[in-house]
Amino acid sequence: MYLARIDGTLTATHKHPTLVGSRLLVARRLEADGSAVGEPVVVLDWLGAGHGSTVVVSTDGDFLRRRLGDTAPARLAVVGLVDAVASGDRR
Amino acid sequence: MRLGIVRGHVVLNEAVPELAGTRLLLVDPLTAGNLAAANGKGGGTPLVVADHLAPHVGQTIAFVEGREAANPYWPGRAPVDAYCSLLVDAVDFRPPAQDAPLPRGWIKG
Repeated sequence: MYLARIDGTLTATHKHPTLVGSRLLVARRLEADGSAVGEPVVVLDWLGAGHGSTVVVSTDGDFLRRRLGDTAPARLAVVGLVDAVASGDRR
Repeated sequence: MRLGIVRGHVVLNEAVPELAGTRLLLVDPLTAGNLAAANGKGGGTPLVVADHLAPHVGQTIAFVEGREAANPYWPGRAPVDAYCSLLVDAVDFRPPAQDAPLPRGWIKG
């Protein structure tokens, strides 16, 4: 799992039938300092993540297989909306 | 899933039987800069993507990589590690002008 920022939304009429009805977002993975790294990725979302929000993305394909069916060609999903990243010193 | 632009179709002379009925696309993955600029460039390292959706050359697609790319063949198996999951109609990609620090908080101890 990793932190990511939602930078966009995506619409697709033609897609694998298991993906029909799913909310598709474009995300960027974040470094610990909040800077975006790597290429943009398409993630599925059931939590209502908004544009600009920080989320936790899981790469557990089994999660999407259970939600969408055994033939679903997808791996990345938003599994949490981030309130804050706590610093370890508890001050 | 990553995003990419279809640059062509790969035609095989011979193939393993598990690939029967699968179209192969040559795909140029999209970098964040090129996606934001919408300049028709990809900018990534091209790869071959299995497909059943028949995009035309120049179409933007999203493709899944890894173990899940073979899911559409279930319960069969296929030696496929990249699969075209959807054809993109439109992307509303608006990254912030500047990266912001992560939202900070603390743990109540």
